[in-house]
Amino acid sequence: MNLIDVQNISKDFIKNDGSAQNVLSNISFTVKKGECFTIIGPNGSGKTTLLRILGLLEEPSQGKIFYLGKEITNLSRKERIKFRRRISFVRQKPVVMNSSVINNIAYGLKVRGVEEREIDQKTKEIIEVVGLTGLENKKARSLSGGEIQRVAIAMNFIIDPEIYLLDEVSANLDPMNITLLEEFINHIKENKQKTIIMSTHDRLEAIKFADRIAVLQDGSFTQIGAPNDIFTSPKDEFSALFVGYENIFSGVAKIDEVSGLNQIKINHLIITASSQVEGEVKVCIRPESIGIVKEPPKNTSYRNTFKGIIENIRDLGNICHLIVRCKSEKFLITITELSRKNLKLEKNSEVFINFKATDVKIL
Amino acid sequence: MPNEFIDGIIEAFVLLFTFDAEVWGVIFLSLRVSGTAIFIATLISLPIGSYIALREFRGKKVITNLINTFMGFPPVVMGLLVFLLLSKSGPLGDLGLLYSPTAMIIAQLFLAIPIIIGTSKAAIESVDPDLKETILTLGANERQLWWELIKESKKSIIAGVLVAFGQAISEVGAVMIVGGNIRWYTRTFTTSIILQTRMGEFGMAIALGLILIIITFTVNYFLTHLQMKG
Repeated sequence: MNLIDVQNISKDFIKNDGSAQNVLSNISFTVKKGECFTIIGPNGSGKTTLLRILGLLEEPSQGKIFYLGKEITNLSRKERIKFRRRISFVRQKPVVMNSSVINNIAYGLKVRGVEEREIDQKTKEIIEVVGLTGLENKKARSLSGGEIQRVAIAMNFIIDPEIYLLDEVSANLDPMNITLLEEFINHIKENKQKTIIMSTHDRLEAIKFADRIAVLQDGSFTQIGAPNDIFTSPKDEFSALFVGYENIFSGVAKIDEVSGLNQIKINHLIITASSQVEGEVKVCIRPESIGIVKEPPKNTSYRNTFKGIIENIRDLGNICHLIVRCKSEKFLITITELSRKNLKLEKNSEVFINFKATDVKIL
Repeated sequence: MPNEFIDGIIEAFVLLFTFDAEVWGVIFLSLRVSGTAIFIATLISLPIGSYIALREFRGKKVITNLINTFMGFPPVVMGLLVFLLLSKSGPLGDLGLLYSPTAMIIAQLFLAIPIIIGTSKAAIESVDPDLKETILTLGANERQLWWELIKESKKSIIAGVLVAFGQAISEVGAVMIVGGNIRWYTRTFTTSIILQTRMGEFGMAIALGLILIIITFTVNYFLTHLQMKG
């Protein structure tokens, strides 16, 4: 069963003059337990409203949301609080209460009736992790902006709930705190029991964490899919321009003892990389760093050469995008229109693609 | 006239510092009546004010307008209403409360309730909505949210209570009507000052006036202090 099932959500805001402004229309999607579902879209596309509806801070004008098959859009006050205690809603703008750092951080556990001893231990731990040791008894509001951000991170992550709703959380953070936040998110993802629904306008962030991405434009999803689908085959110009192009694959990396190079197994394809990270990884190869030839290349410095078939060609003026399928995987390749003509590349042509091990970036 | 004035001031200090039983009796009664009224009014009004602030319900606008109107309710009319309520032929006449400190407490209570409801409602509504939502998303139930918001807006709430106290202690119409200005029993600052001035007993009037001014100054000092800190 899906953990979250969103069916045809629409939201209209009634403006002061009585007219309605449509913010979301006909949004449907499902999220599985343990998944990281990322909503990507420009500012004003409705990301925050959608997350607020999921966090029961806002009611949809139409549509229903189910949690484990149970509708949550029509809950009583008591049940709403029960559901809210399963989630942690990390907001774009961190706000703290007018009390000490330690009281702010412990609050989520306190209201849940967690035992005093456990609260003490957990707050102590997290205060150390976020680097606020020594500031425990200071008023949270007297701290610097960066420190307040860390209090807010600790406040939300100490709860350790089933579902995390992260609303453009890194948008206002300073770089050091972004790293801290990403460590927390990675830690949650490792556990595989926790579900993340996050919004972002930063495609790198989406690539880093998402199992699936939904592109939100003017209140509707234009596309939902695995990161590589979105990046290699954007449905329309908007997605293409906004999301950008990337080749992103998930696989398992293992260093070859003889060559010392990293072999990353992606379904039926093995990619060679220079990076030394092992285990489950996400890799990214920029579309412009992939070369394409018609004959099998000989004596090349490229560690990666694959045979494939051109599935699609998109003409973008003086450059074009080729979608090349090599066994199980699709690659997006950017070349100039001139090269395409010279090489006589057409749809369904058989080609060889190649790229350097150093161009395979592990995320 | 200047002589009368100077004599009055001298007499006032004599009365105050020799701990004149009547003067200090009036002071303590006034403080007790207004203090009790405000204490009970706060207990009643704070939950009502925050309920109106936190919940959405039908008729909220009407109730808000009503409270705002009653915040400026004429004390004399309130005195009249409580008088009718407690008078022998009134609905609560059998309790025999008319012309007693209890009657004065009731009148001041009704005057203070709308003030404290209105100010505490405004105080809680003025808390940053982002903070309110943060508290909710951290898992607070309604009672826990309510408590956090009270703590968050305590300065404005205390300010409202102080304003109500300042009005109660210096109010004259209602206590005059329902208390009856009975010597040693229901005579307060204000009713006493009126009476003493009429009788030409300026010493006692000035003594009570001084203390009343000191009390209102103190209340206002705390109010300003709260606002400066806020």
